[in-house]
Amino acid sequence: MPTQPPLPPLLAPYVSSLPPSSLIVLSTVLGAQGNWLTLRYLYAALNAASTSDTALSLGEGHNGKKQKVVLVSFLRGWEFWRAEAKRLGLDLARLTDKRQFAFVDGLSELFSGPRTTPTTTPQTTPPSLVPSPRGGPVPQRTILPSRSTPGPIPARGPQPARGLAAVAAPAPLTPSAPSASPASSREIGPVKRLHLSGKGPAALDRLEKDIAAVVAHVSGRATATATAEAEGEDDSEVLLVLDQPDLLLAATGPSQEIGATEMTEWVMGLQQYVHATVMTLAADLPLIHNASAAAHQMPTPLETEHAAFAIGSAHRAHLVMQLRDLDTGAARDVSGVLRVSKGGAWGQSDNTDANGSWEEKEALYFVQRDGGVSVFGRGE
Amino acid sequence: MSFRKRNIGLSTGGDRTGSVNASAQSQQAPSAAAAAAAAPESTPGVRPSPDDGRPTTSTGTPSLDNILAGHGGLPIGKTLLVEENGTTDFAGALLRYYAAEGVVQDHRVHVVGMPEQWGRSLPGLIGPADAVDDKQDKRKGERMKIAWRYERLGEFGAGIAGSRATPGDQSQPTADGSPDKRPAFCHAFDLTKRLTHPSIANLNYIPLTPSNEPLFTTIHKRLDAAIASSPPNTVHRIVIPSLLNPTIYPPESSQPDSVLPFLHSLRALLNAPGVRATAMITIPLSLFPRATGLVRWMELISDGVIELCPFPHSADALATSGAATSHEEPPQGMLKTHRLPVLHERGGGSDQNVGQDWAFTLSRRRFEIKPFSLPPAEGDKEGQDGTVSGNMPKKADLEF
Repeated sequence: MPTQPPLPPLLAPYVSSLPPSSLIVLSTVLGAQGNWLTLRYLYAALNAASTSDTALSLGEGHNGKKQKVVLVSFLRGWEFWRAEAKRLGLDLARLTDKRQFAFVDGLSELFSGPRTTPTTTPQTTPPSLVPSPRGGPVPQRTILPSRSTPGPIPARGPQPARGLAAVAAPAPLTPSAPSASPASSREIGPVKRLHLSGKGPAALDRLEKDIAAVVAHVSGRATATATAEAEGEDDSEVLLVLDQPDLLLAATGPSQEIGATEMTEWVMGLQQYVHATVMTLAADLPLIHNASAAAHQMPTPLETEHAAFAIGSAHRAHLVMQLRDLDTGAARDVSGVLRVSKGGAWGQSDNTDANGSWEEKEALYFVQRDGGVSVFGRGE
Repeated sequence: MSFRKRNIGLSTGGDRTGSVNASAQSQQAPSAAAAAAAAPESTPGVRPSPDDGRPTTSTGTPSLDNILAGHGGLPIGKTLLVEENGTTDFAGALLRYYAAEGVVQDHRVHVVGMPEQWGRSLPGLIGPADAVDDKQDKRKGERMKIAWRYERLGEFGAGIAGSRATPGDQSQPTADGSPDKRPAFCHAFDLTKRLTHPSIANLNYIPLTPSNEPLFTTIHKRLDAAIASSPPNTVHRIVIPSLLNPTIYPPESSQPDSVLPFLHSLRALLNAPGVRATAMITIPLSLFPRATGLVRWMELISDGVIELCPFPHSADALATSGAATSHEEPPQGMLKTHRLPVLHERGGGSDQNVGQDWAFTLSRRRFEIKPFSLPPAEGDKEGQDGTVSGNMPKKADLEF
């Protein structure tokens, strides 16, 4: 098969023109992972920015604003994203230097804290084994100048522009922010590592602070206050990509007071910092349907909460991109089915252009060995 | 074998000079020499994937290596979850091969939740040469009929992995007369024998002892410490037999907020820079069905997911008829690949082995995975004969 363009034409309208404050939900299943689609979102945002080809971007992108991306990944490490993006022609390490991209590592230390024994300079030893045989040289994460302190974290409260968040952010929790443990704010150069500590919404709040700090850093508003944002002085729009935040929900559960409601509020809280949000979720059959009343056995809390979170997110989304296996079984030239459907928030945006170019459709996709993706209709 | 020169000059492991296992010695030493000469990658048992060059290591089962999405092995840093239905222990056999391969290759093997007895019952090493003889006898008949350059094409596992992996896997210096320079990547083991190898004492057992910490936190810490304290280039194998099995694990460990963070941390550990490790986990599906959200999340966190569905005993008739030819062993069960390392992470689907129905056969010497095919119905012999003798001429008559 010939090499494919990085953005398949059928896909382009859905990945490159995200209306402001929109949420895109990307649902995946075990056999049809959505990383390739996530990468297309990265590509659409970052490549357009680097070549200043803004023809595709609508909305505020018309003003020549640069698109920036913050990728928060809970299941995959930096190495994976770097290698896969390279296959698309995106040099994430370089883009990180240029503050167009930031990676937030939700894998390495989310539950376990820093690796290796404490006291022995834990953060510098593992990456210093530079000639690591895994995937070539480690990007110069360690020798990058560590960025200046992120400055005051944009507070959640005084942002009347986005009304949703006011509901989501319980005011009493905000003062606890400065007490964020040092472990949760550890960083290696540009890579921020999340660490879940504590219980309930407070733990999520700490994660949110960390991510918000990275967003502020990337968007060049490290010192800006919330008022600047309200006045619309930001010179760039940030796309936030959350890769499988549902892991947080699955791995904590009700005993730690994190449920679907808390997760939804957490995502809403994050949305207010950025221009648009893309979120991948697992939508496997047991995770969605076991919770329904028709199921023949009692659903576990995991299933109930996951279904509530996934379905709730779909209702809040502008667009839902579903990936699933081919119904007729695996095939050699088809990787899966992509279904694009309207989310619950469809048409609520004032930007009608974007909505106009989006239409519901179902197509097949095929990921080649070289990383190229073709998206085509049935029978084409 | 005894007249073969023992080439100990470039051996990597100093402790391998013991004369414990002659066959292991005789094939390990040249392999080490070849590895040192051929590539900077001098770690035994690790080779670059034919697909994209990432380092892979063998699972100890050649046919399992071959279905892992063209990499010819389990890529370093990946976890493989083996699920098994029913009360059989085929997955356990896979784990033993995996651990034994690690022992033979001088990898560091960590066994979670099993007593030392488990390590003592690892299958014994038979020289790879034996396996080759075995295989060649079988293949000889076909070799007459097929031109040599096509002979691997139709074979199981053919393709990028098959064509390059097979010679390295099993044909050893003694096989063809032409000395094979490739290091032994995968060995053959005999389930009825016991493995004796100098480095078997290096197995690291992590018992499940109750403490005031959550169980999985303890396990993770000990794994982490063991990996952190070993020399940087060591290759690790983490073996977790029968995860969540209530006879081994306390009941609270099967809570999602207990096991899922552990698997996530394990994944983080394997992905950490500088760590070269793989993990293989088995889980009893009869106790934790795939239709539950917990198991689905465990699968989502793992890199590869394989399900074993052994045929029930009553299906012996089917099993015997399942053999494509009379001299093949009947399959003992079906194997489903739900997710393959790397391939599915990227989006999946382009591997030619995806979508195959696999059957597996466990014999004394090997765990073999091959495509499953139903034979023609037994009672339909006349019909088939009729097809050949009766229908064909008719077809010719129809030509005009």
